[in-house]
Amino acid sequence: MIRPTRTTEAVAALGLALAAIAFIVESPAAALAAGSFGVFILWRAGRFDRNFRALATSLTAKREVSRTIIRQGAAVTVRTRVDCTLPPGMEVRVRDVPPAVATGEAPLCGPGETGVYTIRIMAPGRTAFGGVILSASDPYYSHGLHIRHLNAPGLRVFPVGSAMATSGATDSGMRDLEVDRMAALHGPSVREFRPYRVGDDPGRIDWKMSAKHNVFYVRELTGLRGGTPLVVVDLPTWEETDSEVFARYSMVVTDAVEEAIESRAGCSLLVIAGGEILRFLPRTEDAGEAFTALSGLAPIEPRVPLYRAPGPAVLAARAKLPRGGGGLEKSFLARLGVVLKAFARESRSPFAGAVKEALAWVEATEVHIYTLARGDRSHLAQFIHQAKTKGMRVVVFAPAGTTIPRGVDAVEVI
Amino acid sequence: MEADRRFLLLCTGEVLIVALGNLAAALILQIFILALYLDDRRGYPVFIAAMVLYAAVIAASGRILLPLLALAVAFVCGYLALSLYDYRLSLWARGEA
Repeated sequence: MIRPTRTTEAVAALGLALAAIAFIVESPAAALAAGSFGVFILWRAGRFDRNFRALATSLTAKREVSRTIIRQGAAVTVRTRVDCTLPPGMEVRVRDVPPAVATGEAPLCGPGETGVYTIRIMAPGRTAFGGVILSASDPYYSHGLHIRHLNAPGLRVFPVGSAMATSGATDSGMRDLEVDRMAALHGPSVREFRPYRVGDDPGRIDWKMSAKHNVFYVRELTGLRGGTPLVVVDLPTWEETDSEVFARYSMVVTDAVEEAIESRAGCSLLVIAGGEILRFLPRTEDAGEAFTALSGLAPIEPRVPLYRAPGPAVLAARAKLPRGGGGLEKSFLARLGVVLKAFARESRSPFAGAVKEALAWVEATEVHIYTLARGDRSHLAQFIHQAKTKGMRVVVFAPAGTTIPRGVDAVEVI
Repeated sequence: MEADRRFLLLCTGEVLIVALGNLAAALILQIFILALYLDDRRGYPVFIAAMVLYAAVIAASGRILLPLLALAVAFVCGYLALSLYDYRLSLWARGEA
Protein backbone atom coordinates (compact mmCIF):
# COMPACT_ATOMS: atom_id res chain seq x y z
CA MET A 1 0.00 0.00 0.00
CA ILE A 2 1.20 3.51 -0.69
CA ARG A 3 2.74 5.34 2.27
CA PRO A 4 2.16 9.03 3.03
CA THR A 5 5.23 11.24 3.37
CA ARG A 6 5.84 13.73 6.16
CA THR A 7 4.25 16.47 4.03
CA THR A 8 1.00 14.51 3.64
CA GLU A 9 0.94 13.72 7.35
CA ALA A 10 1.31 17.43 8.13
CA VAL A 11 -1.51 18.33 5.71
CA ALA A 12 -3.75 15.67 7.31
CA ALA A 13 -2.97 17.05 10.78
CA LEU A 14 -3.84 20.55 9.60
CA GLY A 15 -7.13 19.23 8.16
CA LEU A 16 -8.03 17.53 11.45
CA ALA A 17 -7.24 20.70 13.37
CA LEU A 18 -9.49 22.70 11.03
CA ALA A 19 -12.29 20.11 11.44
CA ALA A 20 -12.06 20.50 15.22
CA ILE A 21 -12.23 24.29 14.87
CA ALA A 22 -15.23 23.93 12.54
CA PHE A 23 -17.07 21.94 15.22
CA ILE A 24 -16.19 24.30 18.01
CA VAL A 25 -16.98 27.61 16.31
CA GLU A 26 -19.46 26.15 13.81
CA SER A 27 -17.69 27.81 10.91
CA PRO A 28 -18.60 26.63 7.36
CA ALA A 29 -15.35 28.19 6.09
CA ALA A 30 -13.31 26.05 8.48
CA ALA A 31 -15.34 22.99 7.47
CA LEU A 32 -14.61 23.77 3.82
CA ALA A 33 -10.90 24.16 4.55
CA ALA A 34 -10.85 20.88 6.51
CA GLY A 35 -12.74 19.07 3.75
CA SER A 36 -10.51 20.53 1.05
CA PHE A 37 -7.49 18.94 2.70
CA GLY A 38 -9.29 15.59 2.74
CA VAL A 39 -10.07 15.98 -0.98
CA PHE A 40 -6.49 17.06 -1.57
CA ILE A 41 -5.06 13.95 0.11
CA LEU A 42 -7.42 11.66 -1.83
CA TRP A 43 -6.67 13.42 -5.12
CA ARG A 44 -2.87 13.15 -4.65
CA ALA A 45 -3.19 9.49 -3.62
CA GLY A 46 -5.20 8.72 -6.75
CA ARG A 47 -2.66 10.49 -8.94
CA PHE A 48 0.27 8.77 -7.31
CA ASP A 49 -1.39 5.36 -7.63
CA ARG A 50 -2.15 5.92 -11.32
CA ASN A 51 1.42 7.09 -12.02
CA PHE A 52 2.89 4.20 -10.07
CA ARG A 53 0.86 1.63 -11.99
CA ALA A 54 1.92 3.21 -15.30
CA LEU A 55 5.52 3.13 -14.11
CA ALA A 56 5.38 -0.50 -12.97
CA THR A 57 3.77 -1.77 -16.16
CA SER A 58 6.33 0.05 -18.32
CA LEU A 59 9.26 -1.46 -16.42
CA THR A 60 11.64 -3.74 -18.32
CA ALA A 61 14.70 -5.41 -16.81
CA LYS A 62 17.64 -6.73 -18.82
CA ARG A 63 19.81 -8.97 -16.69
CA GLU A 64 23.08 -10.50 -17.89
CA VAL A 65 25.06 -13.04 -15.89
CA SER A 66 28.60 -14.14 -16.57
CA ARG A 67 27.55 -17.82 -16.47
CA THR A 68 24.23 -19.61 -16.28
CA ILE A 69 25.63 -23.05 -15.44
CA ILE A 70 27.84 -22.86 -12.39
CA ARG A 71 29.19 -24.73 -9.45
CA GLN A 72 27.91 -24.32 -5.94
CA GLY A 73 29.75 -21.48 -4.25
CA ALA A 74 31.18 -20.02 -7.47
CA ALA A 75 30.97 -16.27 -8.00
CA VAL A 76 28.73 -14.92 -10.75
CA THR A 77 28.83 -11.35 -12.00
CA VAL A 78 25.41 -9.88 -12.66
CA ARG A 79 24.66 -6.79 -14.73
CA THR A 80 21.12 -5.49 -14.53
CA ARG A 81 19.69 -2.59 -16.43
CA VAL A 82 16.15 -1.40 -15.81
CA ASP A 83 14.26 0.91 -18.14
CA CYS A 84 10.85 2.49 -17.65
CA THR A 85 8.70 5.44 -18.61
CA LEU A 86 9.31 7.94 -15.83
CA PRO A 87 6.20 9.92 -14.77
CA PRO A 88 6.95 13.61 -14.14
CA GLY A 89 7.63 14.57 -10.54
CA MET A 90 8.48 11.03 -9.45
CA GLU A 91 11.76 9.74 -8.11
CA VAL A 92 12.40 6.12 -8.98
CA ARG A 93 15.01 3.66 -7.67
CA VAL A 94 15.30 -0.01 -8.51
CA ARG A 95 17.12 -2.81 -6.69
CA ASP A 96 17.76 -6.20 -8.22
CA VAL A 97 16.88 -9.19 -6.03
CA PRO A 98 19.42 -12.03 -6.17
CA PRO A 99 18.26 -15.65 -5.92
CA ALA A 100 17.13 -16.68 -2.44
CA VAL A 101 20.03 -19.14 -2.17
CA ALA A 102 22.67 -16.55 -3.12
CA THR A 103 24.90 -14.35 -1.03
CA GLY A 104 25.58 -10.82 -2.19
CA GLU A 105 23.63 -7.63 -2.46
CA ALA A 106 22.60 -5.62 -5.47
CA PRO A 107 23.14 -1.86 -5.61
CA LEU A 108 20.29 0.63 -5.81
CA CYS A 109 20.06 2.05 -9.35
CA GLY A 110 18.02 4.56 -11.24
CA PRO A 111 16.22 3.89 -14.51
CA GLY A 112 18.65 3.53 -17.42
CA GLU A 113 21.60 2.76 -15.15
CA THR A 114 23.35 -0.58 -15.06
CA GLY A 115 23.88 -2.17 -11.66
CA VAL A 116 26.86 -4.52 -11.49
CA TYR A 117 27.33 -6.88 -8.56
CA THR A 118 28.65 -10.30 -7.69
CA ILE A 119 26.77 -13.15 -6.04
CA ARG A 120 27.63 -16.65 -4.91
CA ILE A 121 25.03 -19.39 -5.24
CA MET A 122 25.22 -21.51 -2.12
CA ALA A 123 22.71 -24.28 -2.89
CA PRO A 124 22.65 -26.69 -5.84
CA GLY A 125 19.76 -27.10 -8.25
CA ARG A 126 17.83 -24.79 -10.49
CA THR A 127 17.31 -21.28 -9.20
CA ALA A 128 16.18 -17.94 -10.50
CA PHE A 129 16.50 -14.31 -9.54
CA GLY A 130 13.94 -12.86 -7.16
CA GLY A 131 12.90 -10.08 -9.56
CA VAL A 132 13.36 -6.38 -8.86
CA ILE A 133 12.14 -4.05 -6.13
CA LEU A 134 10.72 -0.84 -7.57
CA SER A 135 10.66 2.13 -5.19
CA ALA A 136 9.01 5.38 -6.25
CA SER A 137 8.12 8.57 -4.43
CA ASP A 138 6.72 12.02 -5.02
CA PRO A 139 6.41 14.86 -2.45
CA TYR A 140 3.24 13.30 -0.97
CA TYR A 141 3.48 9.50 -1.21
CA SER A 142 5.99 6.68 -1.65
CA HIS A 143 5.57 3.06 -2.58
CA GLY A 144 7.70 -0.06 -3.02
CA LEU A 145 6.73 -3.02 -5.15
CA HIS A 146 8.50 -6.36 -5.47
CA ILE A 147 8.07 -7.38 -9.12
CA ARG A 148 8.84 -11.08 -9.03
CA HIS A 149 8.14 -12.03 -12.63
CA LEU A 150 11.20 -10.11 -13.92
CA ASN A 151 13.40 -13.04 -12.86
CA ALA A 152 15.18 -14.21 -16.03
CA PRO A 153 17.63 -15.83 -16.61
CA GLY A 154 17.45 -19.08 -14.69
CA LEU A 155 20.60 -20.51 -13.16
CA ARG A 156 21.64 -24.13 -12.91
CA VAL A 157 23.95 -24.89 -10.01
CA PHE A 158 25.93 -28.10 -9.69
CA PRO A 159 26.84 -29.30 -6.22
CA VAL A 160 30.40 -29.41 -4.94
CA GLY A 161 31.52 -33.04 -5.06
CA SER A 162 32.06 -34.40 -1.57
CA ALA A 163 33.59 -37.58 -3.00
CA MET A 164 36.61 -35.59 -4.13
CA ALA A 165 38.04 -35.50 -0.65
CA THR A 166 38.42 -39.27 -0.63
CA SER A 167 39.23 -39.84 -4.30
CA GLY A 168 42.74 -38.51 -4.09
CA ALA A 169 42.24 -36.44 -7.23
CA THR A 170 43.76 -33.24 -6.04
CA ASP A 171 45.10 -31.74 -9.19
CA SER A 172 42.30 -32.06 -11.69
CA GLY A 173 38.61 -31.50 -11.86
CA MET A 174 38.39 -29.66 -8.56
CA ARG A 175 34.69 -29.55 -7.60
CA ASP A 176 33.70 -31.15 -10.90
CA LEU A 177 32.93 -34.66 -9.81
CA GLU A 178 29.19 -34.17 -9.92
CA VAL A 179 29.27 -33.14 -13.54
CA ASP A 180 32.00 -35.45 -14.75
CA ARG A 181 32.44 -38.61 -12.78
CA MET A 182 35.37 -39.60 -14.99
CA ALA A 183 37.40 -36.75 -13.57
CA ALA A 184 39.03 -39.06 -11.06
CA LEU A 185 40.72 -40.76 -14.01
CA HIS A 186 43.67 -39.21 -15.78
CA GLY A 187 42.91 -36.68 -18.48
CA PRO A 188 41.03 -33.46 -18.85
CA SER A 189 37.84 -32.94 -16.90
CA VAL A 190 34.95 -30.58 -17.43
CA ARG A 191 35.52 -27.31 -15.68
CA GLU A 192 32.22 -25.72 -16.69
CA PHE A 193 29.65 -25.47 -19.45
CA ARG A 194 28.93 -22.35 -21.43
CA PRO A 195 26.69 -21.47 -24.39
CA TYR A 196 28.13 -22.27 -27.81
CA ARG A 197 29.80 -19.41 -29.66
CA VAL A 198 30.54 -19.24 -33.38
CA GLY A 199 34.02 -20.60 -33.92
CA ASP A 200 33.94 -23.12 -31.07
CA ASP A 201 35.10 -26.63 -31.83
CA PRO A 202 31.92 -28.71 -32.53
CA GLY A 203 33.66 -31.62 -30.83
CA ARG A 204 33.33 -29.79 -27.49
CA ILE A 205 29.55 -29.56 -27.68
CA ASP A 206 27.95 -31.46 -24.83
CA TRP A 207 25.03 -33.12 -26.61
CA LYS A 208 23.29 -34.36 -23.49
CA MET A 209 23.28 -30.93 -21.89
CA SER A 210 22.34 -29.25 -25.21
CA ALA A 211 19.39 -31.62 -25.76
CA LYS A 212 18.18 -31.05 -22.24
CA HIS A 213 18.14 -27.24 -22.55
CA ASN A 214 17.50 -27.00 -26.31
CA VAL A 215 20.55 -24.71 -26.60
CA PHE A 216 24.06 -25.70 -27.62
CA TYR A 217 26.42 -25.90 -24.66
CA VAL A 218 30.16 -26.56 -24.94
CA ARG A 219 32.43 -28.11 -22.35
CA GLU A 220 35.27 -26.05 -20.93
CA LEU A 221 38.09 -28.38 -19.98
CA THR A 222 40.49 -27.91 -17.14
CA GLY A 223 43.41 -29.03 -19.26
CA LEU A 224 45.64 -32.07 -19.08
CA ARG A 225 47.87 -30.88 -16.28
CA GLY A 226 46.72 -28.93 -13.33
CA GLY A 227 44.09 -26.89 -15.11
CA THR A 228 45.20 -23.78 -13.26
CA PRO A 229 45.22 -20.71 -15.50
CA LEU A 230 47.90 -18.06 -15.66
CA VAL A 231 46.40 -14.68 -14.82
CA VAL A 232 48.38 -11.87 -16.40
CA VAL A 233 47.85 -8.33 -15.15
CA ASP A 234 49.02 -5.64 -17.54
CA LEU A 235 49.54 -2.41 -15.61
CA PRO A 236 48.67 0.76 -17.53
CA THR A 237 50.74 3.94 -17.39
CA TRP A 238 49.47 6.90 -15.41
CA GLU A 239 49.18 8.88 -18.64
CA GLU A 240 46.63 6.41 -20.02
CA THR A 241 44.34 5.99 -17.04
CA ASP A 242 42.79 7.82 -14.10
CA SER A 243 42.36 6.66 -10.53
CA GLU A 244 38.69 5.71 -10.91
CA VAL A 245 39.30 3.52 -13.94
CA PHE A 246 42.31 1.91 -12.28
CA ALA A 247 40.33 1.22 -9.08
CA ARG A 248 37.68 -0.59 -11.11
CA TYR A 249 40.36 -2.44 -13.06
CA SER A 250 42.02 -3.56 -9.79
CA MET A 251 38.67 -4.80 -8.50
CA VAL A 252 38.07 -6.84 -11.67
CA VAL A 253 41.56 -8.37 -11.43
CA THR A 254 41.16 -9.21 -7.74
CA ASP A 255 37.78 -10.84 -8.40
CA ALA A 256 39.25 -12.83 -11.28
CA VAL A 257 42.15 -14.11 -9.18
CA GLU A 258 39.84 -15.02 -6.32
CA GLU A 259 37.51 -16.86 -8.68
CA ALA A 260 40.39 -18.68 -10.37
CA ILE A 261 41.77 -19.83 -7.03
CA GLU A 262 38.43 -20.91 -5.62
CA SER A 263 37.00 -22.59 -8.69
CA ARG A 264 40.10 -24.15 -10.23
CA ALA A 265 42.28 -25.20 -7.36
CA GLY A 266 44.65 -22.28 -7.75
CA CYS A 267 46.23 -20.13 -10.40
CA SER A 268 49.49 -18.49 -11.38
CA LEU A 269 49.89 -14.75 -11.36
CA LEU A 270 52.11 -12.55 -13.51
CA VAL A 271 52.15 -8.76 -13.31
CA ILE A 272 53.70 -6.98 -16.29
CA ALA A 273 54.23 -3.33 -17.08
CA GLY A 274 55.31 -2.58 -20.60
CA GLY A 275 58.31 -4.76 -21.35
CA GLU A 276 59.00 -5.64 -17.70
CA ILE A 277 57.83 -8.41 -15.42
CA LEU A 278 57.09 -6.83 -12.03
CA ARG A 279 55.73 -9.78 -10.01
CA PHE A 280 55.45 -13.49 -10.61
CA LEU A 281 53.64 -15.98 -8.42
CA PRO A 282 53.60 -19.49 -9.89
CA ARG A 283 50.92 -22.04 -8.98
CA THR A 284 49.41 -20.73 -5.78
CA GLU A 285 46.31 -22.00 -4.01
CA ASP A 286 46.51 -19.39 -1.29
CA ALA A 287 44.22 -16.43 -1.98
CA GLY A 288 45.99 -14.36 0.67
CA GLU A 289 49.34 -14.85 -1.05
CA ALA A 290 47.83 -13.83 -4.39
CA PHE A 291 46.20 -10.74 -2.89
CA THR A 292 49.52 -9.78 -1.30
CA ALA A 293 51.15 -10.01 -4.72
CA LEU A 294 48.42 -7.77 -6.12
CA SER A 295 48.55 -5.26 -3.29
CA GLY A 296 50.04 -1.84 -3.84
CA LEU A 297 49.76 -1.96 -7.61
CA ALA A 298 49.35 1.40 -9.25
CA PRO A 299 49.67 2.93 -12.71
CA ILE A 300 53.31 3.08 -13.71
CA GLU A 301 55.65 5.54 -15.33
CA PRO A 302 55.66 5.16 -19.12
CA ARG A 303 58.06 2.42 -20.22
CA VAL A 304 60.12 2.18 -23.38
CA PRO A 305 57.84 0.55 -25.93
CA LEU A 306 58.96 -2.76 -27.30
CA TYR A 307 58.45 -1.87 -30.91
CA ARG A 308 62.10 -0.74 -30.90
CA ALA A 309 63.14 -4.20 -29.66
CA PRO A 310 60.37 -6.14 -31.26
CA GLY A 311 61.57 -9.68 -31.04
CA PRO A 312 60.58 -12.39 -33.44
CA ALA A 313 56.82 -12.14 -32.84
CA VAL A 314 56.37 -8.52 -33.78
CA LEU A 315 58.78 -8.67 -36.69
CA ALA A 316 57.00 -11.70 -38.09
CA ALA A 317 53.67 -9.89 -37.73
CA ARG A 318 55.03 -6.82 -39.49
CA ALA A 319 56.39 -8.94 -42.27
CA LYS A 320 52.89 -10.32 -42.85
CA LEU A 321 51.21 -6.90 -43.11
CA PRO A 322 49.01 -6.57 -46.23
CA ARG A 323 50.84 -4.99 -49.12
CA GLY A 324 49.02 -2.08 -50.77
CA GLY A 325 49.84 0.32 -53.58
CA GLY A 326 51.55 -0.63 -56.77
CA GLY A 327 54.71 -0.25 -58.78
CA LEU A 328 57.69 1.03 -56.82
CA GLU A 329 55.83 1.04 -53.49
CA LYS A 330 54.76 -2.57 -53.89
CA SER A 331 58.28 -3.76 -54.67
CA PHE A 332 59.63 -1.71 -51.73
CA LEU A 333 57.13 -3.26 -49.31
CA ALA A 334 57.88 -6.74 -50.62
CA ARG A 335 61.59 -6.15 -50.05
CA LEU A 336 60.85 -4.79 -46.55
CA GLY A 337 58.91 -7.95 -45.77
CA VAL A 338 61.87 -10.09 -46.78
CA VAL A 339 64.22 -8.02 -44.59
CA LEU A 340 61.87 -8.18 -41.61
CA LYS A 341 61.53 -11.94 -42.00
CA ALA A 342 65.32 -12.28 -41.96
CA PHE A 343 65.58 -10.14 -38.82
CA ALA A 344 62.68 -12.03 -37.19
CA ARG A 345 64.79 -15.18 -37.18
CA GLU A 346 67.75 -13.42 -35.61
CA SER A 347 65.99 -10.96 -33.30
CA ARG A 348 66.08 -11.55 -29.57
CA SER A 349 63.88 -9.85 -26.99
CA PRO A 350 64.75 -10.07 -23.27
CA PHE A 351 61.05 -9.64 -22.39
CA ALA A 352 59.99 -12.46 -24.71
CA GLY A 353 62.70 -14.65 -23.16
CA ALA A 354 61.52 -13.92 -19.64
CA VAL A 355 57.91 -14.62 -20.60
CA LYS A 356 58.96 -17.90 -22.19
CA GLU A 357 60.63 -18.95 -18.95
CA ALA A 358 57.62 -17.96 -16.88
CA LEU A 359 55.22 -19.88 -19.13
CA ALA A 360 57.40 -22.97 -18.90
CA TRP A 361 57.40 -22.65 -15.10
CA VAL A 362 53.64 -22.36 -14.58
CA GLU A 363 52.63 -25.28 -16.83
CA ALA A 364 49.26 -23.66 -17.50
CA THR A 365 47.08 -24.47 -20.47
CA GLU A 366 45.21 -21.22 -20.46
CA VAL A 367 46.30 -17.60 -20.13
CA HIS A 368 43.94 -14.86 -18.99
CA ILE A 369 45.35 -11.44 -19.83
CA TYR A 370 43.73 -8.49 -18.03
CA THR A 371 44.56 -5.22 -19.71
CA LEU A 372 43.13 -1.79 -20.34
CA ALA A 373 44.77 -2.05 -23.79
CA ARG A 374 45.62 1.64 -24.01
CA GLY A 375 48.69 3.13 -25.60
CA ASP A 376 51.55 0.86 -26.60
CA ARG A 377 50.57 -2.82 -26.87
CA SER A 378 53.77 -4.23 -28.37
CA HIS A 379 54.55 -6.17 -25.16
CA LEU A 380 51.11 -7.83 -25.33
CA ALA A 381 51.81 -8.92 -28.91
CA GLN A 382 55.03 -10.59 -27.74
CA PHE A 383 53.31 -12.21 -24.79
CA ILE A 384 50.46 -13.59 -26.90
CA HIS A 385 52.95 -14.93 -29.44
CA GLN A 386 54.90 -16.76 -26.72
CA ALA A 387 51.70 -18.25 -25.24
CA LYS A 388 50.46 -19.43 -28.61
CA THR A 389 53.85 -20.95 -29.36
CA LYS A 390 53.34 -23.13 -26.29
CA GLY A 391 49.85 -24.09 -27.46
CA MET A 392 48.05 -22.19 -24.73
CA ARG A 393 44.57 -20.81 -25.03
CA VAL A 394 44.74 -17.03 -24.71
CA VAL A 395 41.76 -15.06 -23.41
CA VAL A 396 42.06 -11.28 -23.18
CA PHE A 397 39.87 -9.35 -20.75
CA ALA A 398 39.73 -5.73 -21.83
CA PRO A 399 37.28 -2.81 -21.91
CA ALA A 400 34.84 -2.65 -24.81
CA GLY A 401 36.07 -0.95 -27.95
CA THR A 402 39.78 -1.49 -27.39
CA THR A 403 42.11 -2.89 -30.02
CA ILE A 404 43.60 -6.25 -29.07
CA PRO A 405 46.70 -7.68 -30.78
CA ARG A 406 45.96 -10.54 -33.13
CA GLY A 407 46.23 -14.19 -32.17
CA VAL A 408 44.00 -14.41 -29.11
CA ASP A 409 41.36 -17.12 -28.81
CA ALA A 410 38.70 -15.05 -27.11
CA VAL A 411 38.12 -11.51 -25.91
CA GLU A 412 35.95 -10.82 -22.88
CA VAL A 413 34.73 -7.35 -22.00
CA ILE A 414 35.43 -6.10 -18.47
CA MET B 1 13.51 23.89 5.00
CA GLU B 2 11.73 25.07 1.85
CA ALA B 3 8.89 22.59 2.52
CA ASP B 4 8.60 23.77 6.13
CA ARG B 5 8.43 27.42 5.04
CA ARG B 6 5.70 26.65 2.52
CA PHE B 7 3.74 24.68 5.09
CA LEU B 8 3.88 27.63 7.47
CA LEU B 9 2.52 29.87 4.71
CA LEU B 10 -0.26 27.32 4.15
CA CYS B 11 -1.16 27.43 7.85
CA THR B 12 -1.23 31.23 7.73
CA GLY B 13 -3.59 31.08 4.75
CA GLU B 14 -5.89 28.73 6.65
CA VAL B 15 -6.04 31.14 9.61
CA LEU B 16 -7.10 33.84 7.13
CA ILE B 17 -9.83 31.58 5.69
CA VAL B 18 -11.25 30.80 9.14
CA ALA B 19 -11.11 34.50 10.03
CA LEU B 20 -13.01 35.43 6.83
CA GLY B 21 -15.91 33.13 7.72
CA ASN B 22 -17.52 33.47 4.27
CA LEU B 23 -17.92 30.20 2.36
CA ALA B 24 -17.55 31.60 -1.18
CA ALA B 25 -14.51 33.69 -0.22
CA ALA B 26 -13.05 30.71 1.62
CA LEU B 27 -13.48 28.53 -1.48
CA ILE B 28 -11.71 31.00 -3.78
CA LEU B 29 -8.94 31.68 -1.28
CA GLN B 30 -8.37 27.97 -0.61
CA ILE B 31 -8.04 27.26 -4.34
CA PHE B 32 -5.38 29.96 -4.63
CA ILE B 33 -3.52 28.95 -1.49
CA LEU B 34 -3.29 25.29 -2.50
CA ALA B 35 -2.29 26.25 -6.05
CA LEU B 36 0.61 28.23 -4.57
CA TYR B 37 1.47 25.30 -2.29
CA LEU B 38 1.72 22.80 -5.15
CA ASP B 39 4.71 22.39 -7.46
CA ASP B 40 2.98 20.18 -9.96
CA ARG B 41 -0.49 21.49 -10.86
CA ARG B 42 -1.41 18.88 -13.46
CA GLY B 43 -4.94 17.67 -12.77
CA TYR B 44 -5.68 20.65 -10.53
CA PRO B 45 -9.03 21.42 -12.28
CA VAL B 46 -10.26 18.01 -11.09
CA PHE B 47 -9.41 19.01 -7.54
CA ILE B 48 -11.15 22.37 -8.00
CA ALA B 49 -14.29 20.62 -9.26
CA ALA B 50 -14.31 18.31 -6.21
CA MET B 51 -13.88 21.30 -3.90
CA VAL B 52 -16.73 23.23 -5.55
CA LEU B 53 -18.93 20.15 -5.15
CA TYR B 54 -18.00 19.88 -1.48
CA ALA B 55 -18.69 23.60 -0.93
CA ALA B 56 -22.10 23.13 -2.58
CA VAL B 57 -22.88 20.26 -0.19
CA ILE B 58 -21.96 22.47 2.80
CA ALA B 59 -24.04 25.35 1.49
CA ALA B 60 -27.05 23.12 0.72
CA SER B 61 -26.98 21.24 4.02
CA GLY B 62 -26.38 24.29 6.21
CA ARG B 63 -24.62 22.02 8.71
CA ILE B 64 -21.03 21.21 9.56
CA LEU B 65 -21.25 17.57 10.61
CA LEU B 66 -23.04 16.12 7.58
CA PRO B 67 -20.51 17.20 4.90
CA LEU B 68 -17.61 16.10 7.07
CA LEU B 69 -19.24 12.69 7.55
CA ALA B 70 -19.81 12.45 3.79
CA LEU B 71 -16.16 13.26 3.26
CA ALA B 72 -15.16 10.57 5.76
CA VAL B 73 -17.26 8.03 3.82
CA ALA B 74 -15.62 9.18 0.59
CA PHE B 75 -12.25 8.76 2.30
CA VAL B 76 -13.03 5.17 3.28
CA CYS B 77 -14.26 4.38 -0.23
CA GLY B 78 -11.11 5.94 -1.71
CA TYR B 79 -8.96 3.90 0.62
CA LEU B 80 -10.78 0.69 -0.35
CA ALA B 81 -10.42 1.51 -4.05
CA LEU B 82 -6.69 2.15 -3.63
CA SER B 83 -6.33 -1.10 -1.68
CA LEU B 84 -8.06 -2.98 -4.48
CA TYR B 85 -5.78 -1.41 -7.09
CA ASP B 86 -2.78 -2.23 -4.94
CA TYR B 87 -3.89 -5.85 -4.58
CA ARG B 88 -4.30 -6.19 -8.35
CA LEU B 89 -0.86 -4.63 -8.88
CA SER B 90 0.64 -7.09 -6.38
CA LEU B 91 -0.94 -10.00 -8.26
CA TRP B 92 0.51 -8.66 -11.49
CA ALA B 93 3.94 -8.26 -9.86
CA ARG B 94 3.84 -11.89 -8.72
CA GLY B 95 2.93 -12.93 -12.27
CA GLU B 96 -0.47 -14.28 -11.22
CA ALA B 97 -2.68 -11.76 -12.99
